[in-house]
Formats: sequence, C-alpha cells, structure tokens
Amino acid sequence: MGNGRSTLAWLLIAVVGLLTICPVAMLALGSFSTGLTAFGSFTLAKYAAAYGDPALYGVVADTVGFVVGSSLLATVLALFFAYLSTRTDIPLKRLFAIVSLVPMMIPHLLFAVSWALLLNPSNGMLNLVLKDLFALDHAPFNIYSLPGMILVEGLLDMPIAYLIMAPAMASFDVSLEESSHVFGAGNLQTLARITLPVLRPAILAAFTLGVVRSLASFAVPSVIGMPGQVPVLATYIYQMIATGFATDYGKAAAVGMSVLVTSIVLIVVYRRLTAASEKFVTVSGRGYRPAQIALGRARGPLLAVVAAISLVMIVLPVLVLLYTSLVPYAMVPSRHAFAMMSLRHWREVLQDPVSLASLENSLFLGVAGATLGVVLSLFVAWVIVRVKTRAAGLLEGLSYLSFSFPGIVIGVGFMWFFVQTPLYATLTALLIGYIATYLPYGIRPLASAFIQIHTHLEESSRVCGAGTLVTLRRVVAPLLVPGIVSAWILMASMFVRELSLSVVLSRPGTEVLAVQILHFADDGLWGQLSALGMLMIAISTTLVVIAAAVGSRFRALAAQG
Amino acid sequence: MPRRFLAAAALALAATALTATAHADAGDLAKAKSEGKAVFYANITSVQPIMKAFTADTGVTGEYTRISSSKFVATLVTEADAGKLLADVVQAPLPVLELLRERGLLAKYRSPSAADYPAWTHPDDSIQLFGIEYVGLIYNRDLVKPADVPKRYEDLTDPKWNNKIVMANPANHPSTISWLVGLREHVFKSDADWMKFLKGLAANHPMFVASFGPTPAPIESGEKLIGISMPKYIVTQAPAPLDWARLDGEPLLGTPRAIAITAKAPHPAAARAFVDYWLGRKAMGMLAKDVGEYVATPGVYPPIPGIDHAKVIAVRELSDEEIRKWGAEFKDIFGVK
Repeated sequence: MGNGRSTLAWLLIAVVGLLTICPVAMLALGSFSTGLTAFGSFTLAKYAAAYGDPALYGVVADTVGFVVGSSLLATVLALFFAYLSTRTDIPLKRLFAIVSLVPMMIPHLLFAVSWALLLNPSNGMLNLVLKDLFALDHAPFNIYSLPGMILVEGLLDMPIAYLIMAPAMASFDVSLEESSHVFGAGNLQTLARITLPVLRPAILAAFTLGVVRSLASFAVPSVIGMPGQVPVLATYIYQMIATGFATDYGKAAAVGMSVLVTSIVLIVVYRRLTAASEKFVTVSGRGYRPAQIALGRARGPLLAVVAAISLVMIVLPVLVLLYTSLVPYAMVPSRHAFAMMSLRHWREVLQDPVSLASLENSLFLGVAGATLGVVLSLFVAWVIVRVKTRAAGLLEGLSYLSFSFPGIVIGVGFMWFFVQTPLYATLTALLIGYIATYLPYGIRPLASAFIQIHTHLEESSRVCGAGTLVTLRRVVAPLLVPGIVSAWILMASMFVRELSLSVVLSRPGTEVLAVQILHFADDGLWGQLSALGMLMIAISTTLVVIAAAVGSRFRALAAQG
Repeated sequence: MPRRFLAAAALALAATALTATAHADAGDLAKAKSEGKAVFYANITSVQPIMKAFTADTGVTGEYTRISSSKFVATLVTEADAGKLLADVVQAPLPVLELLRERGLLAKYRSPSAADYPAWTHPDDSIQLFGIEYVGLIYNRDLVKPADVPKRYEDLTDPKWNNKIVMANPANHPSTISWLVGLREHVFKSDADWMKFLKGLAANHPMFVASFGPTPAPIESGEKLIGISMPKYIVTQAPAPLDWARLDGEPLLGTPRAIAITAKAPHPAAARAFVDYWLGRKAMGMLAKDVGEYVATPGVYPPIPGIDHAKVIAVRELSDEEIRKWGAEFKDIFGVK
C-alpha cells in the first residue's frame, strides 16, 4: 500500500510538475538571460537592476500592509459568513451563502471600478449620500487609499476563504462543542476554545491563499492604488514593464521570483502549522453528525448585520454595474440619468461576434477546466494530506508555483512555454494553463476536507477488501462532496473571469470574456464592459447554483445509499 | 521636340506602370484570396467593422488580435524566435515598429493607397504612418463654463483646476511621457517655461490612471472636470458631455500610429491586400468617423467640430532610454510614488 501511495505521489509530481514548472522555468531562464525572451546568454544584470533599485524597498511596506490587511479582512469576513451559514439557524442562509460568493464572479477590474464610483472623494455615490445625510463639508471616505485597497481586495478574496472554510465547518462534529457546553462554556467561549482551534487548518489555508492571491493581484493596485499613490509590488512591476516599448519581462520575472519565494515559505510554514493533522480530525467513524446552533435572541440582530454587510459590500457594487450598463456614459445617478437609460450597451454586446465567441469559450473553459481541475486536485489533495512523505510536500509546493507568480508576468511564462509546443494559440493551451495556475483553488478546499476525515474510515474500507480507488469513490468522496463543490465553484468562476494568462495567450478563435472586458476598459467603454460583466456574473451564478444543487443531490443520494 | 518626346515617353511609361500595377493588384488579390486570411496584430479601438468590410470587399478573411503595447514586442519577438510568427500585418506606435524593424521582423512595402499621404508618413521603406494618437485637453462641457475652458496649455496650471484633473501616469505611460516632451519641442519656447508648466500642473494634484483608457469616465461623471486625454472619446463616448479645448495657436500633439507587413508573413499577398485596404479612404474614413481617430488621409477628419482646423503634430518618437529617463524626471516633478 505504501508503495502504491508513493507511486501515485511521484506520478502526480510528474504531472503537476510538468504543468507548473515549465512556465516558471521559462521565466527563471528569462530572468537570467540577456535580451527579451527566455533564451539568451547568462546574466545577473536583471537581478542587479531589479533589486538595486531603492524604490523597490519603498513599496515593500505598503505591499505588506495591503497583503496582510486584505487577507485578514477576507478571512475574518469569510469565517463570520461561513459560521453563520453552515452552523447556525440564521434565516436566509442559502441566499447569504450565494451572496458571499458574488465578488468572486465579478471581474476584479469591474469590482474595483464600482467601488471607485461609490467611494471616490469627489462624487462617489455613497460619499454624496453620506455628505447629504450628515451635512458634511468633505467626503467621509476616500477609496483611493491603503484602507480602500484593503477593503476591495479583502472582499474579492473573501469567497476563496469562504469556500475553503465552509466545507470544514459543514463537516464539524458537534459532539466536540456539546462536550464544551456540558462543561459549562457558553457559545462564544466554545467558539473561541473549540471551534476556531479545530478549524485552524482551514483558517490558515484561507489566510495563506489570500496572501498569495493579493500578492499577485493587479486590478485593485491599478484602479485604486495608482490614483491613490499607494504603490505595491504589482504596480511596481507594471511600472517596470510599461515604461518603454521593449518590455523586459525577464527583469519583471526577477522581481516575481521574490514573490514566489515568499509564497513557498508561507506554504512551508502552513504545512508545519498543520503537520499534526490528526488534531483537526472531526469526522471519524464514531457518531459524526453536523448540527446547528440555535442563535436565540441574537438571530435578529445577526441577520441585520449580515444583511447590511451583504448589501453595502456586495450587492451595491453589483447594482452599480447594472446601472452603468444601462446609462449611456459614466453618470452620477439623477433623474436625467434614469431618463437616459436604455439597453443600448447590452444590444451592442449581444450583437458583437467577438463578445459572443468569448462567452462561448469562457463557458467551455469554466465547465471543462473546473471538472478536469477538480479530478486532478482530488488526487493531489489526498496525497498531500494522507501521504506524509517529502514527495507530498514537494507536490504541494509545486502546485503553488504558477499560482504564486504575479499575474502580469506568469502569462508571459506560459507564452514562452507554449510557443515551443504545437498547442500555441489554441483553446487547449488556455485550458492547461488555467488548471496549472489555479490548481490551489481545487486543492485547498479538498485538502481541508481530507484533513477532517479520519483515516479510520479509509482503513475500515480497506480492511473490508476495497482498494484505494474504491475507498476514494465509495467512502471518502461522499464525505468530500462539500469540498468538491467548493473546489469546482472556485475553479469554474475563476476560469470564467481569468485574465492574466488569457491576455497573453488569447488569439482569434480563442477569445475569452476577461480579455474582451479588458479591451472595453482600454477603450473607456464602461457601458459595454458592465453589460458583459453582468453576463459573466450571470454565467458564474448559474454554474454555482447548478454545482450546489448537484452537490446537495449527491449528498442526499449518499445518505440514502 | 525632344522635350515633347520625353514627356510623351514618360506618360507612356507611367501609363504602362499603372497598368502593370493594376494587373499586379488583380493578381495579388487572387493570390491573397488563395491564401485565405490576413492576420492583423494591433492595439487599436473598435476595428472589427473594418475587418468585416475588408472580408466582404476582398474575399480575404481579416483576423484581428489585439495586443497591448507593453506586450507587443515581447509577443512578436517570442513568436518570431520560435518560428511561429502568426502575424501578417502589425500596427503599433512608431517606436514599437522601429524596434521590430531593427530585429529584421518587418518586410519592405510601400502601399499605393498611401501615395497621396503627406511626406512625414513615410519614415522608411517598411513602415507606413497612417495617423496620430492625438492628445488634447478634454473637459466636461456641462460642468466647465465656456469662459473657464483653457486657451493655452499653461492655463492648466491655474489653481482653479486643483484636484480637478485626470491624466495617465507621467512616470510610466509612454504616450504621456512623449506628449509632455513634445510640449517642450513644439509649444514652450524655453526649458524654464516648460518646467514652470510641469510644476504648475503637478501642483494641481492631477489624479493618475494607468493609461488614456480610464481618463474619460471620471470627466464624464464629474469626478474630475478636465483631463489630458484623447479627443476621439468625444466620438466613442457620445452622448457624454465631452469637448476639447481649442487652444490659441497651440497645436495638438500625439504619437504617430504605424503599420507594416512582417518579414515572414504567413500570408504575404493577403498582408499586402490588407495594408492597401487599411490605408484606403474607405477604411481610414471608418476609423475617423466611427472611432474618432486622426488619420493621415488628406481631407478625412473625425466628426469632431473644429478638429479639421486644428494643427495636429506627430511628436518625435522617443527611444526607450529617453522614455525611462523622462519618466524618472516626471516621477520626481509630479511626486509619483
């Protein structure tokens, strides 16, 4: 059995390694080569130039504040939402569960622009309302600031954290909490002393992923940080590649290497912190049953808090998008603006062959990519959690390679790689690139779920004569359904709005939504951009609802069977 | 007599040449059709209608791939080095095509469609300029009183514009850097005047965005009142309340837009047919009318009131070293972090 597991681990290392090492290796080559491509004579000049720039060190402090702040916000908000929607009897929980996923479905660029329209200091809609309400001289909020960046990036990363923590909470064994209550602890005490410590792997996983994502993020630093004069690493790299025309991505890759190293260190720390995974097992063979906590009198106030957060932070930006898609140009809401509303931008988008082709390709990439990605993630997550060898650690590290690289550079790494293959400029290249880059979105929710399922269950299955695959299919998979659904949703909605790779690899015939949206943004066509963005949200919401329904059905069948 | 004879001979020769060209064109078009398609790499707004018209009028399919300026050279060089250059025709700012020409990636071609273009549009045998990415002072005509509209560039330094200006980041946006340097070379008489303008503009705390694309929205919505932006948005953003400041005797400046055929174009005849079509009056007319572009075709102007009387000048193309050098200077002057 040990040999079988080891073979599987090495096989997966080969597959994942091929997917993730190639683009990063090309970037590494480029960072050590003279010239503008991956191949040239050896030089250290790019590292010397990149790290010799004193300005680089000036942006590190803001980057740390941005990354840690947004990851903390994402984790805390997701914890709050996940706890209420999975463990308590709060009303409308399904609605809140879907609402908390919405930021993930919106192109980040659009979400950031929506917030700028709401909270810019000159005429942000929310600021205008607050100024009127409280008779203020100045706008109370300025989105173009570090706190503004943290708010928007935190909201964008919250669904990732939610989808990692929700399955872990859903499979939480209530007997642990009951024991705490028996010993006289209250709900809050139990939450602090039992629930949160047991959920440590999921919380850390969510935080780690948030850090890695916000380090690589470009939309928020560009739309909010640039006007606010808050430079972070992503905008520093942008500045490096945008100043001039002979863009040296090798030099940008040299900076990206330090982001990669930071991410790898974080992952190693995460593995250390969750190494004794038995401590976090909550579903064993002995009397597992998830149960709900009655909120009692807190139900109403908590519902009001969740509704307010959802409305202001998530629903409002989507309404801004809808509004922008209906008015002829960027306008502050007024009677005049409402009188000018029309479906013009929607008609233009729906009659535009490139936009329609993008919708089709992105839908295909979302569904096919997420399905293939989850299958691969299932095996990788199992090995990472169950096979405690160095190979498993290596596999986990590899899965983060492409993911950790700043978005504006990794696409070029894939271009340098795919151009050496017959797959260049095909939809298959995009599919492979997506899966390779966003593998952690599949692995993390599944690994968190695996950690919580006791090995006794798998061992019992094997004692009864079942092999590894049968055990996975008949014992582990049904318990993993929430994790599988989370992973699929994360990957599908990511692939539907993927930009970093697509903007470099997309060609006629392989157009995708996010690139078309970027082109609208480049041309300042915010109406069409918002209409297409709304269509993108509609597609992702449909996929999420279908995935959740299939998951529920599968769980119901498993419970019956 | 000999003079008459020479003139007649010259006319006959010219007629023969014209006929030959026409025959060659017909032959070339047949060849282009047999090649099937022309692949166009560019970074220009809304050209799909031109691609569609090209396909309909010539029977050759036009395929457009949009590649941003910052990825243009990297993409072309990567594809060419791997022997997989997909582009037949490339369009980009002049400095980009000059970089590609230096690497031997462009073919020599002089299109007959550009025969009546002004001399400045023919910098060499490979590259043809067809327009200017013109930049002006764009303002919200509902919120700026006619009396307040700038009459000269230096009016932007008036403190009344404090916190009311939007512009692309002068530390790294190549077109804005070239435009600011162009002001020194075409508008301000001395370094001192130019520097005074730059410092005055910086003192008004403009809001910086990544490129020209995000400049019109804050002006339309009233978040900002004026911007260093492109007059073409008056056309593409209509009916937004945008207008351009007519400056007293001062020109509009911009970087030249260039087009060329690649040296190893997979579809060379289709590439020539595409360039001929692109530079023709129909395509350039569409570019001016629908997208508001300032094109080099004589007598063709975008439908922006007064723009046909404006003096529009192509600024000198800056090398990457110059762009970085000036970007660093502007970073200091404008206090860009």
